[in-house]
Amino acid sequence: MKADAATGNVNVLPARRLKLPVLDRRHAGREFVWLTLEAPADWRSLPGQFVNVLCMPDEHAPAATDGRVLDGESVWPRTEGLELAQPGPIVRRPYSISRIRREGDRVRLILLVQRRGAGSRFLQEQPVGAALDVVGPLGTYFTPPTDERLCVLVSGGCGLAPILGLADRLAALGKPCLSFFGCPTAAAMPVTFRTPPAATRDRPEATEAIEEFAAAGIPTVLATDDGSAGFGGPVTAALETWLGEGWNGRPPALYGCGPEPMLKALAKLAEAHDLPCQVSLERYMGCGVGVCLSCVAKRRDPASNKGWTYFLTCRDGPVVDAREMIWDET
Amino acid sequence: MSDKVDLSVTVGRIRMKNPIATASGCSGYGEELAAFFDPSILGAIVTKSITLAPCEGHPPPRLAETRAGMLNAIGLANVGLEAFLNEKLPALAQYDVPVIVSVAGSTQEEYVEAARALDAATDVAGIELNVSCPNVEKGGMEFGVDARLLAGLVEAARQEVSRATLIVKLSPNVTDIASMARAAVDAGADALSLINTLRGLAVDPWTGRPVLTNVTGGLSGPAIKPVALYMVRRVWEEVAGPRGVAIMGLGGIQFVEDVLEFLRAGATCVAVGTANFINPETGRELVEGLGEALRKLGCRSPRDLVGALEAGGKT
Repeated sequence: MKADAATGNVNVLPARRLKLPVLDRRHAGREFVWLTLEAPADWRSLPGQFVNVLCMPDEHAPAATDGRVLDGESVWPRTEGLELAQPGPIVRRPYSISRIRREGDRVRLILLVQRRGAGSRFLQEQPVGAALDVVGPLGTYFTPPTDERLCVLVSGGCGLAPILGLADRLAALGKPCLSFFGCPTAAAMPVTFRTPPAATRDRPEATEAIEEFAAAGIPTVLATDDGSAGFGGPVTAALETWLGEGWNGRPPALYGCGPEPMLKALAKLAEAHDLPCQVSLERYMGCGVGVCLSCVAKRRDPASNKGWTYFLTCRDGPVVDAREMIWDET
Repeated sequence: MSDKVDLSVTVGRIRMKNPIATASGCSGYGEELAAFFDPSILGAIVTKSITLAPCEGHPPPRLAETRAGMLNAIGLANVGLEAFLNEKLPALAQYDVPVIVSVAGSTQEEYVEAARALDAATDVAGIELNVSCPNVEKGGMEFGVDARLLAGLVEAARQEVSRATLIVKLSPNVTDIASMARAAVDAGADALSLINTLRGLAVDPWTGRPVLTNVTGGLSGPAIKPVALYMVRRVWEEVAGPRGVAIMGLGGIQFVEDVLEFLRAGATCVAVGTANFINPETGRELVEGLGEALRKLGCRSPRDLVGALEAGGKT
């Protein structure tokens, strides 16, 4: 493993297709499940990268019954007639790799699954012991700052997933961090509260209330759209207020993941305050590996006569420079 | 008697070591799948469609999942002929696999000019005329749904293509695919590939807007397999079988059983499209599994199965 001394970046292995067993599943907040997957010992990925997960049962895989594996060949005569293959969604679903836990030879990947449609429902219902068909690691990753400036981590909803992985990495590198985390309402937050979150109305107040960040020594400003916890309003409005109060020392670096309107607002703040800003994008993807060309987004390109070019979110993203993005299309 | 299965097949002048190819638009320029298996094990690679000039493609969303399938409207995004010849083809040529280049255009002249340049490139084994893309305004499917236009295009391309195998990719968006196949073969096509995607529409029920920016898209995946099998059968019976022209079958192929079905319907080889997205190792799994499946059926070659469909279903 080769590490870049300045950034702590490590080279990552190329994408592979793997069957990763589910070790643990835990409901959190409304609509979320944390899935812990067992990865091979040589797994390497960086915060911001993703895995592309098949969300259908593998009918060609051996069936497991009471721990006994039945092989594919039946002893009964072949029956004629219809036996439909292919239940469930067709295309894989991209999921950010959240935290990675290493204990000796064991590597565990944690994914955050929000209930949205057939794919996420399939994943949320996978029992411990099931094996998920996963392709990864894929895509680009967050780059830590090369100096000791403050890293401001901004996440909304399931955008929390890669940001938690990034928080772990930045904490390990000794970078100072502050987190902003927003959800529609307190009950929807897929986090563990150390102390019940107080409503602070229009004041962005950093507290140790969220265990996941506090454990890494990172205070968090909470925001809820309904004002039920922390700042009342969008998380980017909380950030805007905080940025308006100014900062000490070097200008902070912004990192974000969340719904598109949040990322747009974040990019606008980065522009207004002239701050570096990396965001992780979400797009519909057909393949995740740069083949189907469906996950395009626009970015500025002075070399192009149009002033922009499409890039592939799966290959050239999902982590991109927010200030290069053109947000007019989703 | 040896029970060894010889998987090789011939399509036009292309010798394929097995009947498994990757379909146009579903394997990029080959290199993307190399992370998952060595492309050299494939029978052939069909590239993303190339146009004379580079093309950005349609604004997103370009993809919509459907039940048992997906709609796409990529809009022929590609690097253009020059960049393909200079950058992509040399990278593809390092693999020991025939390269079939899919070609699209908005006029007959554009198709012919691209075909001429590709015929001159010795690393190109085949040229597939994509006359069936449902997602572009001009050209594309317009040629694939009008037998007279199609015949003119294939004839003109034939004049310029003397070395490479000339394949015509047929559209399922027609009343009678056999008449299109006949027009293509009469005009000089060496082989036929079918089917391209079926034109479809996905609607967001709550906003009332089409899901795709292009409004309509091409339906692919397991959903279209029965349509593809029927069309392969019909073209094989009416044109390809009697004329000795090979069919490359496409449409929802994911498992070895699917390959057997297409061979029986009349395909000499198959191409894997949407299944590459479901499982990027599909090509390898089919190549590895086909020999055993043929052995089970008592076949020594996939050729033994081509067109082997019994007279009627079980009643």
